[in-house]
Amino acid sequence: MIKRKCCSDLISKHLFSSSDICSTALIEPHFTECISRNQETFRCWWSPGSFHNLSSPGALRVFYLKKEPPTSQWKECPEYIHSNRECFFDAHHTSIWITYCVQLRTQNNITYFNEDDCFSVENIVRPDPPVSLNWTLMTISPSRINYDVMVNWESPPTADVRLGWMRLEYELQYRDRNTTNWEAVTRGLVVIIIMMSSVSFCFLESPVHLTLVFVFGTVGILILIMLIVISQQNRLMIFLLPPVPAPKIKGIDSELLKKGKLDELNFMLSSGGMDGLPIYAPDFYQDEPWVELMEVNETEDVDSGEKEDNRGSDTQKLLGQSQPVSQHINISCSNSISGPDAESAQATCYNTDLPEEETLMLMATLLPGQPDEEETSLDTVERSSASETDERQLIQTQTRGPQTWVNTDFYAQVSNVMPSGGVVLSPGQQLRIQESISAAEKETKKKRKESEDSEESEERKQKEPQFQLLVVDPEGSAYSTESSIQQISTPPPSSPMPGEGYHIIHPQPVEPRPAATTEVNQSPYILPDSPQFFAPVADYTVVQDLDSHHSLLLNLPSHQTPPPCLPQHPLKTPMPVGYITPDLLGNLSQ
Amino acid sequence: YILTVSMPLDCKEEPGSLTRCPSISQEKLLDRVIHHAELIYRVSEESCSLFEEMFIPLPLRLQSNQAGFACITKTLPIPSSKSEIEQISDKWLLHSVLMLVQSWIEPLVYLQTTLDRYDNAPEMLVNKTKWVSEKLVSLEQGVVALIKKMLDEGTFTTTYNEQGLFQYDTLPDMLESVMRDYTLLSCFKKDAHKMETFLKLLKCRQADKYNCA
Repeated sequence: MIKRKCCSDLISKHLFSSSDICSTALIEPHFTECISRNQETFRCWWSPGSFHNLSSPGALRVFYLKKEPPTSQWKECPEYIHSNRECFFDAHHTSIWITYCVQLRTQNNITYFNEDDCFSVENIVRPDPPVSLNWTLMTISPSRINYDVMVNWESPPTADVRLGWMRLEYELQYRDRNTTNWEAVTRGLVVIIIMMSSVSFCFLESPVHLTLVFVFGTVGILILIMLIVISQQNRLMIFLLPPVPAPKIKGIDSELLKKGKLDELNFMLSSGGMDGLPIYAPDFYQDEPWVELMEVNETEDVDSGEKEDNRGSDTQKLLGQSQPVSQHINISCSNSISGPDAESAQATCYNTDLPEEETLMLMATLLPGQPDEEETSLDTVERSSASETDERQLIQTQTRGPQTWVNTDFYAQVSNVMPSGGVVLSPGQQLRIQESISAAEKETKKKRKESEDSEESEERKQKEPQFQLLVVDPEGSAYSTESSIQQISTPPPSSPMPGEGYHIIHPQPVEPRPAATTEVNQSPYILPDSPQFFAPVADYTVVQDLDSHHSLLLNLPSHQTPPPCLPQHPLKTPMPVGYITPDLLGNLSQ
Repeated sequence: YILTVSMPLDCKEEPGSLTRCPSISQEKLLDRVIHHAELIYRVSEESCSLFEEMFIPLPLRLQSNQAGFACITKTLPIPSSKSEIEQISDKWLLHSVLMLVQSWIEPLVYLQTTLDRYDNAPEMLVNKTKWVSEKLVSLEQGVVALIKKMLDEGTFTTTYNEQGLFQYDTLPDMLESVMRDYTLLSCFKKDAHKMETFLKLLKCRQADKYNCA
């Protein structure tokens, strides 16, 4: 760009102060400005400087050089306008994107040339101002303070914008009438200018604003979600990752269970440790896990997230929470509850190795001894499931082998079995169990209806009454490990053995008869909350074995058809103590 | 703000083929190409100013205009006046643009590498030159597609990126190297302006052949 010669050049080149030098120095003839209005033509103006003798027209000549190949030589100005000391380059002589250099020559060929006087036309474009600037009042606010005004204008006629030869950008400026400073309006806004005392603006939604809105909205939503998560953390965690129940007895240190300090444990559970066991309260079994097992739980599948809970859960959780045990342990088999898909669901039951292993591990921690093989119980489970099609199955596995069972003196005992299908665990808990069983029945009914038509289900119910067996430990630990509680289908019930007080439970729509509980008073308490729990009771019946029809054999017949996997259970023969052992229970599933 | 002119250049619509090539109308394609060119010019202008501020001492700045004689594309037969431009055909307009685009792809890549050698090259400058380099490739694709559409010429691989246009010799003198880079940027800015102008003229002609002369 050509700049005003004198001062700027001196300053830039010689670092002198401006005014003094300019006033005294000899100013050569020079070009003052070269401008193109439309990028098609351009003009250059010159000044003789202090050489006043050269101010007459024609005294100074303009020569220009176009730096383009092949030749570049100085040519004279195509058109002079001497009155203006102007040289006009028309379109024919104007090339864009090519460097021009201009110089002044006197008649004597004295050349005044500055290297800075070279330019490219597109760099010296200064378009004309827009024309037809106009404004229109659009709306007036009710308060009559703000006004909406539309300002419009047209591009200068000299600039060939239509052709695309020039691209013009405009900036709208405004000022108050009393002031002299013009303020610019930012691009992208619709400006409202008021020609009165106040000025107001109306902003269009520029893309920047939308982006900000989106960003802030997203951030706000995220913060809200975070707050919800934090406030409902506990509930969410339970919802997402249901804690794995571990066997637990309130008041008993889980360490005792782990390390197998049976004597201490027994002491604690005996009257000596009464204080520490709040479980004697009748309400204890309100949420007792194993009672829940009798209910059909539509629980969600175990997802991998639960494994972490399983690992970390300790025995405290078991007693503390009602749901988890049944939930957790049943979860792997909850699919089997739904009727039509029972088979496939059962497959998933057994294929979910890890949850089952977790439960097994839990069991292992509770019971002293070494972890035993798990396939045995799993096998029995499989066998039982194979025989069933769409029966409900609450399948529990148990790690303990028979030896450990025996060694720990933990045994399970069913004091009485209600004809209604309930298991009498202790006199005080009859009612509760009846309730739970009736609830289970109702759910059974519900599920039956859901699966196939009710007729079939009724029939099936008649044909294969379900059998519930609860294994409880009457002595020792105050909990019944969810060792093997299985529901299996049984043939038509055999008549209750007289004097045995032992019944096969049929979860038929028969309300539990309270009368059946009368016998219970004689039977020992099984549930650990009863004070009589610790008295070793001999008056109980024991399920010796299952016959081929899946009925409980209280007195074993002479012959037995050993099931295929029975050899795995060396203690299949009736035990002299009459305990129902887990392996027996495992056999029950056949 | 940043458009991607993505066209499947190899897309051939065979009769009976199930897949249809995504097609774009000629007007839209031209608009996108023009937008590309506008952005490239704007960014190149900013890059040139940045470079000038950072690395070019004041006395040397005005000499940039003289550098127009040293631009690498000076040998290309490209019209330089409005009257000339108005006279050439659409085909030559497009081919001129293509020539320019292809000539500058390699030098811009080189410019990116040289900027790394500067001690305090501002990141914005580096980013801008990188952006321009990338968009130039897109522009090339767009122009090729435009040529194919408007002129019905098949895709051709002839490029104008001749070897003689650009030399990679490293100058020993730092100042000379800087000046050369500065010249490179200025020349590119100029040529970017050319591309934009040519394409806009082409658009005017498409819309109204007679008034756009």
